[in-house]
Amino acid sequence: MDFDPAYLAKQLPALWRGLLVTIEVSAIAMLIAFALGVFGATIRYLRIPFLSPLLWFYVEFMRNTPLLVQMFFIVFGLPALGLTLPLFWAGVVSLALWAAAFHIESLRGGLATVGKDLHEAGTALGLGKWQFLALVGLPLGLRVALPSMLNTCVSLLKNSAMLQAIGLMELTFVAVDKMAMDFRMLEMFSVLLVVYVALVFLLSAAANWLEYVLQRPFRI
Amino acid sequence: MSLILDNMPLFLRGLLATLQIGVVTLIASTIIGFILGTLAVTRSRLLRLVVRGYVELLRAVPLIVNIFFIFFGAPLFGLQLTPYAAAVIGLSLWGGANGAEIVRGGLLGVPRHQAQSARALGMTEPEIFIQILLPQAMRAIIPAFAGLLTLLVQSTTLGALVGVPEFLQISRLVVERTTVMQGIDPAFQVYAFVLVIYFLLCSTLSFASRWLESVLAARGGSRKTGTAKSLLPETVS
Repeated sequence: MDFDPAYLAKQLPALWRGLLVTIEVSAIAMLIAFALGVFGATIRYLRIPFLSPLLWFYVEFMRNTPLLVQMFFIVFGLPALGLTLPLFWAGVVSLALWAAAFHIESLRGGLATVGKDLHEAGTALGLGKWQFLALVGLPLGLRVALPSMLNTCVSLLKNSAMLQAIGLMELTFVAVDKMAMDFRMLEMFSVLLVVYVALVFLLSAAANWLEYVLQRPFRI
Repeated sequence: MSLILDNMPLFLRGLLATLQIGVVTLIASTIIGFILGTLAVTRSRLLRLVVRGYVELLRAVPLIVNIFFIFFGAPLFGLQLTPYAAAVIGLSLWGGANGAEIVRGGLLGVPRHQAQSARALGMTEPEIFIQILLPQAMRAIIPAFAGLLTLLVQSTTLGALVGVPEFLQISRLVVERTTVMQGIDPAFQVYAFVLVIYFLLCSTLSFASRWLESVLAARGGSRKTGTAKSLLPETVS
C-alpha cells in the first residue's frame, strides 16, 4: 500500500474539524479540572470535616479505575438517573473529573511543602486561614505541584482520544472512521502520529515555559 | 443486582481475561524493559538515543492510537492479528517503554562509587552489572513494576475497543443483550459494578506496590533507593 498524498489532502478538512474538537474538549476539560483541583486541594488542606475524607476517597477511586469505564458510566449509565449530557459535554466532564483527581493529589502534596514556619510567620502578621492560603500557600504550593499538574494535562490531551469510543467526533474518531470506510491505514495513522506528537510537544513546551516564568521571583 | 448475579459466569470470564492480559503484558514489558533499560545506560550514545526515541514516541502517542495502529495496521505488513494479540502487543510495547524508564532509573540510582569500587577490585563489566548494580537497583525496580501492573490492568480496557472479550467488553455485551432481550437498560448498574471491581482490584495492587516499596526500603537501611517509581507515568494515557 502506497502513501497517497492526494487522498490525504481530500480528507484534511474532516481531520481538521476533528482536531478542533480534540483541542476544544481538552482545553475546556483542563480549565475545569484545574479549578476543581484547586478547590479540592483547598478542602484537603484545611481538613474540612466530612468533605476532606470524601475527597480522599474520590481521588483514590478515580486513580484506581480505568478512565474508559468512567466514560462509559457517565455516558451510558448516568442517563438512568435522568442525567443526560450532550456527547461533547459528557466528554469534557469525564476528562475533567478524572484529571481533577490527579490535580487534587498533586496540589495537596504541593501545599504540604509549605512549611510550618511560613504558617507561623503568616499568623504573626495577622493573616487568617483563608488569607494565608490565598496569599502564601497557593502561590508557593502551586509552583511545587506545577510539573506534575502539567503532566496530567498532557495525559488528559492524549486520553481525549478515548472519547472515540463513545462516539465523539474528535481526531481519532474521524481517522478511524475514514479507515473503516476507505481502508487507507497508512495516511490516517501518519496523521494521528504527527498530530499527537506535535500536540504533546507543544503542550510540553508551553508547560516548560510556564514553569520557567513562575520560577522568576526565585532566581537571583 | 440479580442481573449481575445471573451474568456472573460471563463477568468472571471477562475478569479472568483481563487478569491474564495484565500478567502476560507485565511479563513482556519486564523483558522489553530490562533489555532497553540496560541499553539506556551503556556508553554507546547511539544505543541510548535509540532507546530514548522509542520511549518518547510511545509515551507521546495515545495508547489507544497505538493499539489501533497494531490492530488495523498489521495487514499493511502482511499480518493478520487477532484482537487479543493486537492488544497484548500494543500494551506490551507501551509497558516496555515505561519498564525501560524504570530500569534505567533504578540502575542510575545506584551510587557511582559502587561500580567504581567493583572495577578497582578487578571485577569484569558483566560481573559488576549482575552482582553489584542489578541487585541494588532491584530494590527500586520491583515496586515500580508492581505499580506498572496496576496501570496495565487498567489499560486492558482499551482492548475492548478492538473487540477483546475482557471485562469491559463482556460488560458491554451484557448491557446490550439485556437491553435487547428484556427491554431495560442496565448500563447504570453494570458499569457501576465494573467500576467497583476495578477499584478493588487496582487499589489492592497499588497497596501491594506501596507495601513492597516500604519493605524493600527498610531492608536497604537508611540509604535512599533511587527514584524508579517516580519515572512511572502516574496514569495510563
